Amino acid sequence: MSNTQMDDTLFKRTGKKTGTMLQYGDPDFVKRVEINEKDKFAHKAISNAQDAQWVKRETARAELGNWEGWRDLGEQIRQQCVRYLPDYLEEFSDNVEKRGGHVFFAQTDVEARDFITDLVKKKQAHKIVKPKSMVTSEIGLDKALLKIPDVKVTETDLAEFILELDHWDEPSHLVFPALHKNRDEVQKLFQKIGYTGDNDPQHEARFSRKVLRERFLEADMSITGCNFAVADQGMVNIVTNEGNADLSMSIAPTQVVVMGMERIVPTLREAETMDNMLVRSAVGSKLTSYCSFVSPKLPDEADGPEDFYVVIVDNGRSNALGTEFEPILQCIRCASCLNVCPIYRNIGGKGYGSIYPGPIGVVLSPLLQGDYDEFHDLPYACSLCSACTATCPVKIPLHELILKHREVEMNDKHMGDLIADTVMKVVGMGTGHSSLFRTALTFDHVAMNTIAKKGVKDSSGKRVPDTAKNLDENGKHEEWMPFVFGGWTKVRDLPEPPAHSKNFRTWFNDRKTKQYKAAGNDVEFNKEQAKILAQNPNTPDFGSYDNSVSARKAAKNGTTEPAPLSDATVPVALGSIEEAGTGNYGKKD
Amino acid sequence: MTDREVFLDYLAAKSGRPRHQLKDHPMVPVNDLPESTLSGHTQDELLEIARKNAPAVHVDFQTTDKAGLPATLNEFIAAKADGRLMLPTYDENYQAFGLEAWRDTLDPKPSFWVPGAGREANIDTANHSEAAIGFADFLCAESCTITAPTTPGQGRAFHFLPVHYLSIIRKSKIVPRTRQAMDYYEPALKSGELKTSNINFITGTSSTGDIEMVLVVGVHGPLDMTYLVVEDM
Repeated sequence: MSNTQMDDTLFKRTGKKTGTMLQYGDPDFVKRVEINEKDKFAHKAISNAQDAQWVKRETARAELGNWEGWRDLGEQIRQQCVRYLPDYLEEFSDNVEKRGGHVFFAQTDVEARDFITDLVKKKQAHKIVKPKSMVTSEIGLDKALLKIPDVKVTETDLAEFILELDHWDEPSHLVFPALHKNRDEVQKLFQKIGYTGDNDPQHEARFSRKVLRERFLEADMSITGCNFAVADQGMVNIVTNEGNADLSMSIAPTQVVVMGMERIVPTLREAETMDNMLVRSAVGSKLTSYCSFVSPKLPDEADGPEDFYVVIVDNGRSNALGTEFEPILQCIRCASCLNVCPIYRNIGGKGYGSIYPGPIGVVLSPLLQGDYDEFHDLPYACSLCSACTATCPVKIPLHELILKHREVEMNDKHMGDLIADTVMKVVGMGTGHSSLFRTALTFDHVAMNTIAKKGVKDSSGKRVPDTAKNLDENGKHEEWMPFVFGGWTKVRDLPEPPAHSKNFRTWFNDRKTKQYKAAGNDVEFNKEQAKILAQNPNTPDFGSYDNSVSARKAAKNGTTEPAPLSDATVPVALGSIEEAGTGNYGKKD
Repeated sequence: MTDREVFLDYLAAKSGRPRHQLKDHPMVPVNDLPESTLSGHTQDELLEIARKNAPAVHVDFQTTDKAGLPATLNEFIAAKADGRLMLPTYDENYQAFGLEAWRDTLDPKPSFWVPGAGREANIDTANHSEAAIGFADFLCAESCTITAPTTPGQGRAFHFLPVHYLSIIRKSKIVPRTRQAMDYYEPALKSGELKTSNINFITGTSSTGDIEMVLVVGVHGPLDMTYLVVEDM
C-alpha cells in the first residue's frame, strides 16, 4: 500500500477543507447503531424495500438481457469520463456557455454554498424550489438558504418534502430518502400544514400535489442536482418519477444546477445508456417517468430558465484521483449497493452518520473529507460479503475499496487502538506458532465451558432448547464473553468449542490412521468409514446418509451394498488445460 | 469560486494525467448493446411490443388511423377535458395529421400554448387546463417512452401541468429503444436541424413510492396518460 492513498489530499495541497457537512447524528458509531436498533419500523421498512427491490431490479435487468455486457459498457463509459475528467468538464462548460448559461467551479462545499447563497441574494430570489439532490445536501445548502431573510425553500420531491416538514430530517436512503417514515408519521407532518385526511398514502400524495403545485407556480428559482452532464451538448440530464424536477425547471425563471464533478458523460448517447442502467438498478423500472435533457431556454420558447447556472463541485472527490480509490468516481448513485447490503439492512441509513450511507457511503465519506476523523468506523461497517460489488452497474469493486480503507487506516495511519492492537498481536502469536495453537485447541473447551449455556431464553426469560444444533454434542454456546470478545457475543451466539477428544483435528487424525490401516482392504475400509460416520453427532438426525463416491454410484446402479472404491471411481489429477479439451478431464488413462 | 483553469489543472495534476488527451482517446464503446438490443423488428412488431409494455407504466394505449383520429380525440376530450382543453401551436403537425378542421371547429374552443405569449400566460393556461393533447416525435417500444423536444408552440410545462394528457404518435416513428431516438436527436442538435433547449422523454404517468413504498400514480404531473398511435402514418 502506497503511503499516498490518503495523504495527498486537496486539504494538504491547498489548505481547503472538504466534506465538512457530511456528518450528522451522534458522532459515536456504536451509539448511532444503538439508536437505530430501536427504530423497529425503519428496520422492517428497509428489509421490505431490499426484498422488493431485489425482485424488481433483477427482473428489469433480466428483461434487458446480457446484463454483464451492459455492465462492461457502463464501466467503460464511467472510466472514460473519470480518466479524461478535466477534458470533458472543459468541453461541457464551453458548451453551456455557448447556450447562454454560466459555469462555476467550486473546490469545496463552502465555495459552492457561498456562491449559491450570494446568487440568491443578488437575484433577490424569495421562493426556491428544489428537486431531490444529494449533492446539495452534501454542501449543506438547505441550512444556508434558510438563514437568508425572506427566502422560502421547498423540497419538491415527496420524500424530501416529508423530511423538510420534520425539521429537515436527514435522508436514510439515496433513492428513497424517507424510507424510515411511516404513513402515520406522514399524516401527522402533513396535518401541520392543513391536511385533514386519513393515513392512506394515495390521499397523502394527492394533498402534497395540491400544496406543491402552488409552490411550483410561485417559484422564482429552482436549484436542482444533475444525474449526468452531457459534455458535447452542454445539456443537463435529470431523471425523476414524480415530475417535480421538470415543473421546477420549467416554471422558475432561474435555474441553478449543482453537480458533483464526476457526473459527466461524453454525449447524449452515453447519457441514454447510463439512464437505462441507472433506472433499472435504482428502482427496477426500464426508465423513470421523466427523463429530461435541459439547458437555458431559447429566445422563442416561453418557459424554462432564462438564467442558467451550473456549479461544478469537487469537495474532496479529487482525493480519489490517481489513487486506488479512483473507481469510486464511476458511481452513478443508483443505490443498488445499499439495497443488497446486509449491514445497511441492520443499521439503517442513519447508522452510518453520513449523508451517503451504505457501501458507497463507506467508501466515499472518508474520501470526501480527506481523512478518517469522523468516519474511521465506517470501513468496519461491512461484512466483506461483496454483494455490493456484484450488483454495481458500473462495476465498482466496492468491497475491495472498503478493505483498502481498513488497510490505509491500520498500515498507513496506524489508527488501531491499544486493545485491537494487543488482540491482533496475541492472535498473531497464537496462530503463528503451531505449539501455541495446539495448546489453545487443547484447552479452549475447558476454558470456555464454565460460561457456556445450553438453550436460549424466550421472551418470558425461560430457557428453551436451541432451534439449531451445534456440531458439538454438548449443544452449548457462549452468550457472554469478557472484554473485547463481548463484541461478538453481544450480537450473536458463539458455539462452545468441542472437547479436545472430539474436535475436528482429533477426529481427522483418527480417521486418517484407521483408513491408512485399512488401505487395500475394501471391506475393512467401508466398515471403518461407517463407524466414523456414526460418530458424527448429526448422523442420527439425518439418517445414515453416505455421500461417498462409492455410495452414490451404488445408489445409481440400484445395488444395496455400497460398491467398493475402485480405480474407475477414484478421481485423479485434473489434467492440464490442453487435456481439458480432449475429453480426458478427470479420467484415468 | 475557483478559476476554471486552476480547478482543471489541479485535477490533471492530482490524477497524474495531462489535460487535452481526449482527441487521441475518444470514447469507443466496447459493445453495441444499446443499438442491437431489441433490433430487427418490423413496425407491426414494435407496435405490439409497445402495447404490451404500456400497462406497466400505466398508459392507456390506443390505436387509430388518420381518418378515425378526430373521433378518437373527441372521445378523449369528452371523457377528460371538462371544457378545458389545451393544444399546442404546431401547424405542421395539424396539417400532417389532417387535424386542421378538427382543431378549428372544436367546441368549446380549446386553449393553446402560444408562441410569444410569454411565460406567465402559457403556464397559467396550462395550469388551468384539465386535459392536453400533444405531439411526440418517437415512441420507444421497449420502455413505452414518448419523446418531445420543447418548441415555441409546445413548451415544457405543457406536458406537466394539465391533469390528463394524450400524446399523438405516428406508427412509423415507433423505434425499438430510447437509443434510436437519441441517434436522431444527437446529430439533429449538432447540425442545427433541431433547435431546442430541452428534450423530454416521458414514460407514462408521474408516480411515487415515497410513502411506505406504496405506489401512487399521479403525483405532480398528469394523473393519467394516453398514447394514441396513428397506424397509417
